[in-house]
Amino acid sequence: DSWGIFTFLCAALCNLPALPALNCSEELGPGQSIQQTYDLTRYLEHQLRTLAGTYLNYLGPPFNEPDFNPPRLARAERVPSATVDLDLWRGLTDNARLAANYRAYSRLLCYLRVLDGQVGTAELRHRLAHFCASLQGLVLSIGGVMSSLGYPLPAGPPAPPGAPLASNDFLKKMDDFWLLKELQTWLWRSAKDFNRLKKRVPPAVVTLRLEARGF
Amino acid sequence: EMHSQYERVGADVTMKCGSMDWDAAVTWTVNGTDIDESHLNGSYLILKNVNLTQTGPYSCYEGSSWHLKYQTYLRVGTPPKEPVLMCRSNNYPKGFYCSWHLPTPTYIPNSFNISVIHGTKEMVCEKDAVPKNRCHIRYLQLFSTVKYKVTLTVTNALGKNFTTLTFDEFAIVKPDPPESVVAKPVPNNPRRLEVSWQNPSSWPDPESFPLKFFLRYRPLILDQWQHVELSDGTSHTITDAYAGKEYIIQVAAKDNDIGTWSDWSVAVHATPWTEEPKHLTTEAQITETTSASTSSFMAPPTTKICDKGAMVGSGAVAVCWTAGLVVAAYSVLFI
Repeated sequence: DSWGIFTFLCAALCNLPALPALNCSEELGPGQSIQQTYDLTRYLEHQLRTLAGTYLNYLGPPFNEPDFNPPRLARAERVPSATVDLDLWRGLTDNARLAANYRAYSRLLCYLRVLDGQVGTAELRHRLAHFCASLQGLVLSIGGVMSSLGYPLPAGPPAPPGAPLASNDFLKKMDDFWLLKELQTWLWRSAKDFNRLKKRVPPAVVTLRLEARGF
Repeated sequence: EMHSQYERVGADVTMKCGSMDWDAAVTWTVNGTDIDESHLNGSYLILKNVNLTQTGPYSCYEGSSWHLKYQTYLRVGTPPKEPVLMCRSNNYPKGFYCSWHLPTPTYIPNSFNISVIHGTKEMVCEKDAVPKNRCHIRYLQLFSTVKYKVTLTVTNALGKNFTTLTFDEFAIVKPDPPESVVAKPVPNNPRRLEVSWQNPSSWPDPESFPLKFFLRYRPLILDQWQHVELSDGTSHTITDAYAGKEYIIQVAAKDNDIGTWSDWSVAVHATPWTEEPKHLTTEAQITETTSASTSSFMAPPTTKICDKGAMVGSGAVAVCWTAGLVVAAYSVLFI
């Protein structure tokens, strides 16, 4: 039963983001971690451009056409969307901002890993695997920033949504298309999120945390 | 009653004299000037292969009574070609504007209608008073996955045409060029120029949406530009300028992460600081300083030998120290 396999895979693969990243972040102040996370999002955005190009070609037309602009089907949202009201976005607390990023990438990683298991060509599998590894690094990096600022990590990704797996080949491809689109948009948004965080994390916080740990 | 008609360039136009019979005797005028009978077919005026110069008021008068029977204003023009449409966000994240024009004139009045569709929603693009042919939209949401589709339709009496643009929110971000670019020489530094500028005033939130900059400079006498990319700050010191040569300098801006570079700023000119022919003066001042010390114990007033600015460059420092030592030596001698 493909639905059962999907559930199992997702549950198994998605327990990883719960790992605390304290080992990495203890050496860096939150300011530096934020800069690193920002750099990671830019790197991933760059990587995604190549990956998306290859993957959309694999899906074939019309998905690989530059003007392809399908309407968003009213299906259950698998991944929290990056789209947000401007004032709401501005008003996000640092914690909420980081948590939104953490949750989004955790789930995106989960879905990408499932994709990895399904694609046909070896080249695509290799690229996807590499991308997933980098994305895993991003999730850990965000987790590290949150820990160093004293914020709790959001709970692990919830069980896969109740919506059934795509019933036909075309709809499955549409899902893949939107997954990549959502990922691309999140990476653009994260650059802006981390720009904002960079300005708001005072250097003084670093000293306080070190003192608290008895250094 | 003045009628109105529009005709295409190159068309054949037949004008009837109102309700007059075909074989009635009439006179046609254009702009008050009589039209030769050779252009008449009975009481009809025939204009073959009309051109733009034939735009004007045409009147038809009954032969003998010279009663005005019919008047029309002829406008010769063309149906619109596909318009040129451009959309750009120079004020991200506030919104974007679109502007348009026709590639060739139609010579008759045109009306424009613009529609903006985002997913399933139709958005209103508010027309600007100035400049005309421009409208702006405010973003309701940021970081959208759905593209914007803008359709511009142009209509006139002879036809219509349209064009469409489809784009992502991020793709059209292009700031205005940096403002208030200033380039100054640096005193006592013959190879330096200090350049500073400001964020374009149309960019609403440089704190959350920082800009990065691209500086280019060259001496007027050379064609090759030198480039520097700067990820933050609104100033830069050029340190490899050719001494004594006038430079031309420009700056461009781009959102740190998305979109494209702005156009180049207005060019500024500057020449690095050059030393005035002061070699003789410098030695003379040392002599003056030492002879001044023989009569008073006071340190000489600050001379150009020991300028604060002259701390850079070992030559200047050496002179500074030398003067200081000489002064100190003589002062000690006379205590």
